[in-house]
Amino acid sequence: MAATLSPEKILKELSDLWVSEGQHGQAEDASGVLRACTMTLVVVAEQDDDPQGLGETLAALMPEHPARAIVIRLSGAGGRALAERVYQQCWMPFGQRRQICCEQVEITASDGALADLPSVVLPLAVADLPAIVWCRSARLFALPEFEALVALAHKVVIDSGAMPDAPAALARMRLWLNGGPVLGDLSWTRLTRWRNMLAQIFENRERLARLENVRRVTVDYPGERPNTCALFMGCWVRDCISRDAELAFAPGAWTGTGPASLVLRVRLEGQGIDVELRRDQDRMITTVDGLSQCTNLPVATPYLLMREELGIVRRDPVFERTLASAAHLQYPNGK
Amino acid sequence: MPTENPFQDPLRFERQVPECVIVIFGANGDLTRRKLMPALYRLAFDRRLSAGFAVIGISRTPISDEQFRERMRDAVQKFSEDTKFDEGVWNAFAAGLFYVAGDIGDAKLYQDVAARLSEIEEQRHTGGNVLFYLSTQPSQYAPAALGIGAAGMGKGNGWRRLVAEKPFGHSLETARELSSQLHQVFQESDVYRIDHYLGKETVQNILAFRFGNGIFEPLWNRRYVNHVQITAAESIGVEGRGAYYEEAGALADMIQNHMLQVMATIAMEPSASFRADSVRDERSKLLRSIRRMKPDEIRLNSVPGQYGSAGIGGQRVPGYLEEPGVRPGSQTDTYAAVCFFVENWRWAGVPFYLRSGKRLPKRVTEIAIQFNLAPLAIFDQNDGEMSPNLLIVRIQPDEGISLKFLSKRPGSGMNLRPVSMDFNYGSSFGERSPSAYETLLLDAIIGDATLYTRQDMVEASWSVVEPIQDVWRETRFEFPNYAAGSWGPAAADEMLARRGHVWRKP
Repeated sequence: MAATLSPEKILKELSDLWVSEGQHGQAEDASGVLRACTMTLVVVAEQDDDPQGLGETLAALMPEHPARAIVIRLSGAGGRALAERVYQQCWMPFGQRRQICCEQVEITASDGALADLPSVVLPLAVADLPAIVWCRSARLFALPEFEALVALAHKVVIDSGAMPDAPAALARMRLWLNGGPVLGDLSWTRLTRWRNMLAQIFENRERLARLENVRRVTVDYPGERPNTCALFMGCWVRDCISRDAELAFAPGAWTGTGPASLVLRVRLEGQGIDVELRRDQDRMITTVDGLSQCTNLPVATPYLLMREELGIVRRDPVFERTLASAAHLQYPNGK
Repeated sequence: MPTENPFQDPLRFERQVPECVIVIFGANGDLTRRKLMPALYRLAFDRRLSAGFAVIGISRTPISDEQFRERMRDAVQKFSEDTKFDEGVWNAFAAGLFYVAGDIGDAKLYQDVAARLSEIEEQRHTGGNVLFYLSTQPSQYAPAALGIGAAGMGKGNGWRRLVAEKPFGHSLETARELSSQLHQVFQESDVYRIDHYLGKETVQNILAFRFGNGIFEPLWNRRYVNHVQITAAESIGVEGRGAYYEEAGALADMIQNHMLQVMATIAMEPSASFRADSVRDERSKLLRSIRRMKPDEIRLNSVPGQYGSAGIGGQRVPGYLEEPGVRPGSQTDTYAAVCFFVENWRWAGVPFYLRSGKRLPKRVTEIAIQFNLAPLAIFDQNDGEMSPNLLIVRIQPDEGISLKFLSKRPGSGMNLRPVSMDFNYGSSFGERSPSAYETLLLDAIIGDATLYTRQDMVEASWSVVEPIQDVWRETRFEFPNYAAGSWGPAAADEMLARRGHVWRKP
């Protein structure tokens, strides 16, 4: 790997790629290629972080959120070393003859070169469009160099549940709430369907009238201590109803197949009201005052989670409020 | 007591849906099986329906709830085009399906339905909200509505709404008569006249395109627009529905409702807000601004057609008169082309050409807005074709928007060539678009009437279409006047040629 990278050279390579693709497309079937871009998506991942899975996720995201994707692979300790390659992500829409393509740049950086990354990423970001940083590396998140990338971003997406010290991650994100970038947390995104279902239950006016009777909120989680999904869920429900309601977290066990659900069950109890949401395989069972309903609840893949996050480029007041509550729950005296 | 749902998160959630029961009159009919039930199942699959949601199907055939569920299961499996059939979701959904047998003209039917509604409201906590859906012959709309009223179901604990399919009358007078009968039980604000064209994503996108962007609206007027063509072409014939089509025709079946609604959407003034009444007021104003033509104008500005037999792709297809259920010597229009003018400051003098027909070369629905040529041709005509700018909104298939403009060809000399800048709905948004019925059913449950037709809009449409029908009825046409598989009668080309225009061949 070289010690330096020239953003201008990368931009020239991208430009050459389009010219060549255009000529190739015209020669093949005279229909050419269509270039699409709505944002710059910077993905930071460790070198060994599932290259195939990440590639497939990005390929799936591009048709809905066409972007100039800059994938930064962290090669770990070593001297100051940077490398790059450019390529395209193309797809043929169903029933069409013309390809649609997005550009992708992959940069490999050793720890010694982390400080140089912002100076490479900044000129590569597409003008006038939002830059979104998706940090998959818990290691980089903890390093001071990450702050420089955050400063370039319009939005930062992390997965606090995947951090070795999730409470500390929440506390750090809480610091960004004042004037920092727009924040996204995949541990929160995983709850959208649960939350939506709960909201739907209270569209019924009679039930809504009984909501103030709720005195206890219980969130069951797998494992030994509540994960961030469970924390977010509990804090969100309590913030929505009343601070007076008791919030309890209870350990449980995931008995289904596939990846464990991070929230097993949510229950709201009070006089004249009993609402329960429970995950069962790829379905959600809602039980309201004894009446059960089953709906489809597909496993939240990274693609589905990022698809939702990329669709939101402005501040999310509900998440920010819940993040503050969850961080407070972990560190009542601040951190 | 909370009045607003504190769990709502509009940034991330789709619109919330209240509990309700849908009562479908004509539950064994084609529309219910092909469109309504697959749409409702898809909404359940996507978790868009509330936990207590229920359907009561009504038809004459005496069958049990269980038999009705089986029939609907078959329909969903057969007609759900892009939705996986999930046993668990279906079982939960089917538990809310019920059936009541009876005749629409029989008062006992409504007593039975009322009793069933009470049971369901008790069991499934539907809050008294009921949506009555008329999926029957239009002649049964009024008896059904009056029966609902006589049984006291027009009012209840929750809201009561009525959805009616087109046609809304077959003339201005009958449309008014039908409305006045519906209004004996339901207020106009609770009557939802469905026009499934307005539920299509691309038709809704016209509003986003026009009023969400700043650059197009300044061009959207008589100063820059030369003319507008709206085409709704079908490649199929009447497909065994000859008897129905004999009573309808292309003008009444397509132009009076779908196409005039699309025209209103493309030509209306910006509404002050996106509230239902605000948008519908503007659509209605536009429809009322369309010039009502006199008989001599109608002869110059409208062309009926009827297809004759022809060979298409090596296969002979029958002419309309050979179709089953068609009267010998029928004068029914399987094609209609009309040139409308809008009498307001924005559109005065701009022709709006609308055409719809069966057995045309392909299935396509699109709007083409042709702009005026550049005021001065500074490039030598020999260097390239002087072609006008065109903005094309494709409603189906390949939904999207294209802008055609001239560009210099690479190389020496100033050679111009038309090029197209395309936005393709399917490729820009990879996610599935809901079907028109999913959108419209959900809107009706939520109480959003933006995409539904109001009585004044129906009357305004009939006001401009009825005089054309009258003239056509008085005239004996030499049918067939276009061959199956062609783009319609020569007279339709001549109608445009008189103004120096040419139909697009989409």
